[in-house]
Amino acid sequence: MSALLESPFLGIAMTVAAYWIGVKLQKKTGLVICNYMVISVTLLVTVLTVFHIPYEAYFQGGSVINMFLGPATACMAVSIYSKIELLKKNWLPILVGCTVGVLTSIGSILVMCHLFGLDREMTASLLPKSVTTPIATVVSQDHGGIVAITVAAVMVTGILGNLIAPYLVKLFRVKDPLAVGLGIGASSHAVGTARAMEMGETEGAMSGLAIGLCGIITAVCALFFDVFL
Amino acid sequence: MKILLQIGIVFGVYWASQCIEAILPIPFPASVISLLLLLALLVLGVVKVDHIREKADFLLGNLGFFFVPVSVGIMNYFDLIRQNATAFITICVVSLVLTYGATVAAVRLTCRLVEKKGGSR
Repeated sequence: MSALLESPFLGIAMTVAAYWIGVKLQKKTGLVICNYMVISVTLLVTVLTVFHIPYEAYFQGGSVINMFLGPATACMAVSIYSKIELLKKNWLPILVGCTVGVLTSIGSILVMCHLFGLDREMTASLLPKSVTTPIATVVSQDHGGIVAITVAAVMVTGILGNLIAPYLVKLFRVKDPLAVGLGIGASSHAVGTARAMEMGETEGAMSGLAIGLCGIITAVCALFFDVFL
Repeated sequence: MKILLQIGIVFGVYWASQCIEAILPIPFPASVISLLLLLALLVLGVVKVDHIREKADFLLGNLGFFFVPVSVGIMNYFDLIRQNATAFITICVVSLVLTYGATVAAVRLTCRLVEKKGGSR
């Protein structure tokens, strides 16, 4: 029986089913809080817990899916390349904005982790949480963080950013679509970008561009994480 | 065959990046190297977007799916999150607002400086 539970095909089929339900539910309700990731993860955790299937058994199939994460990150090059003209035209503000955004994010998280007295493992898990999941997770893992915690923090940040983006725009009284788009992308990656796209074409494109660029800059900054951890 | 070829190109680029990661003296993640490498290949025109479009759309369009298995790992860490819940939420909210504000301010400032320089010319 346990051999059947550990078959990678079960894990893959379960994940596809949970993901499908999550996407359907989000489309139907149209609520950001009914995020398909939150729904599919909650469903799988519930099923595994109820049927006493250990995570390790499920991950036999999970690891196959996991293998595609790296190549998926590579494909983000396509989305940057499709906006290359926009990038060339405004390269200085875009680069400065993204760099300042990444440094602020990492700096503020580091200070707060110290204030809350979090250990090294938690700090490493939270440090890269403002950028896109594929990059945040490798940075976290490379520095001894817990990948699952990083994903949770990335999701919470993204959903929050999506929800409060319009209020942030009002709070900081900047309407320039270039600045607004980069700000949303830098602070809340792809989930926030969905909201930026609703605000306008430039906002959406800039936010999308910021996802990849902030990810790259974070990976570069991560080379120095060991000094602080 | 078309899709198969696209998978080959993307996986090939990723493997090359793993090789680069192994050679590099600094710990730089292979996934980010592959992103930069593919971007360079696209800019140089070695790879055309059409060569990898369907594969890229498939991977990016379902990006969330590939994270589900790692995310389910959270079930082993519920206690850790519960212990640090206040810190966890505070850090997420505060860093979000600060990052947005700093980015917007930096972009505005740079744009103004660029305009000024352009105007004085």
